[in-house]
Amino acid sequence: MDKDIVLKVENLNVAFGEEKVIEDLSFDLKEKELLVILGPNGAGKSTLLKTLLGLIPYEGKIQWKNSVHIGYVPNEFIIPDNLPLNLREFFQFKKDSPEKIYKALEWVGIKSSDKILEKKLYALSSGQLRRTLIAWAMSDDPDIIFLDEPMLFIDIHGRETIYDSLTRLWEEKNQSIILVSHEVGEVCKKADKVLALNKIKLFYGPPKEIITPQNLAKIYGSPISL
Amino acid sequence: MDLQFLYSLIVGIFIGGVAGYLGSLMITKRMALVGDALGHAALPGIALALIYGFNPSWGAIPALFLGILVIWFFEMHTKLPMEALTGIVFTASVAIAFLFLPESQVSNALIGDISKISLSDTIFSVILSIIVFLILKKIFSKMILTSISEDVARVEHIDTKKYNFIYLVCIAIVVALGIKVTGSLLMGALVITPAAAARNMASNLFQYSFGALIIGVISCVLGILLFKVFSLPAGPFVILSATSIFLISLIFKKQ
Repeated sequence: MDKDIVLKVENLNVAFGEEKVIEDLSFDLKEKELLVILGPNGAGKSTLLKTLLGLIPYEGKIQWKNSVHIGYVPNEFIIPDNLPLNLREFFQFKKDSPEKIYKALEWVGIKSSDKILEKKLYALSSGQLRRTLIAWAMSDDPDIIFLDEPMLFIDIHGRETIYDSLTRLWEEKNQSIILVSHEVGEVCKKADKVLALNKIKLFYGPPKEIITPQNLAKIYGSPISL
Repeated sequence: MDLQFLYSLIVGIFIGGVAGYLGSLMITKRMALVGDALGHAALPGIALALIYGFNPSWGAIPALFLGILVIWFFEMHTKLPMEALTGIVFTASVAIAFLFLPESQVSNALIGDISKISLSDTIFSVILSIIVFLILKKIFSKMILTSISEDVARVEHIDTKKYNFIYLVCIAIVVALGIKVTGSLLMGALVITPAAAARNMASNLFQYSFGALIIGVISCVLGILLFKVFSLPAGPFVILSATSIFLISLIFKKQ
């Protein structure tokens, strides 16, 4: 494996019983690269992330660079009703110091204060919770961050804030990012590579080559305006 | 104060505390009724203990471990929710117990008897309660994260299967110990009611878990004092004390 490659996937196959979810997929991720995974619902995007994270059994080859530390933001993170878990305690699950917590929250645009740390997670808005999760995932400086549809259930303004945070993170922190998204927005255009998936690899390459009206129509099954 | 009463009080304090602390995890993991169900799953062991005249907890422990192992095995090999599997095991256990439990012993098995506790029982209960509390304290944050997102917990290198098993073993031990105080019928309430009351009043996880522990202790002390005064079984008094604290907690409920 090349020195600058953090992840190499070869001939990956994932099936749930008889149903094939990912077929013969190969790609790689280099250091400090932003890879955006696009595809319609049921294309296997979240399954691919979970497989890469070792959460789902697979056939094929997934090779990681030695001792890679991963941060993960799932698309579903439901806080049980009224669980009195505040931000300070949530970050302490990672044994983060208050300084690290403040720093991570500021990265995602949440103004740090003692008051915010005492806030319960279930009382956060969807956007605040998403940004908190991103801050949590990156607080112990992972080499690579996996984000599974971070814009799910977020309004347009919230999306812009999260995209800004992500772009800033990637540009300034130089971490590798794998982002699963439905959106063909700014982050997608800034990506190093785009992987379009619908159980099989449809397209893989730089966004300029992939994000075209013809390709998007093929990915989503109907014309998409850019 | 007579020695027997002192033993009851000590046992109540330690078991009530650890049961409350455990309850704070069980509510978070949506296993509120599992304690109740496991209390019933212990019945065949309790029945044997009562028939042969030994400590019901000694009988309950192997019965519970067997029940837990069966539930854990089913959970690994089916996709059925743990509550459904627990339901199957506990009803089967009750059915087995009532095939051979003498009628005269039914009340003892169902609502417990704290009036005959020996020094060795007391020492055994205190040591086991402390050990379980320390284990639960160690795994607490891992279990909370697992209950929110098992995937995230696994990415954070938490061996969720191992911790779930340790947690189930802790439940089995606490239920086995608690049966002495409340009997199998009321055991679920000893675990859940203090934690529910604490959850109403807590601002953070620390207040929640240790609040549940303190309310568990207070409920047991109050219940055992009432048992001494009225010479009625302690179990119902313990549970009604916990229920009263739960009702009071509604006044102080945090939004």
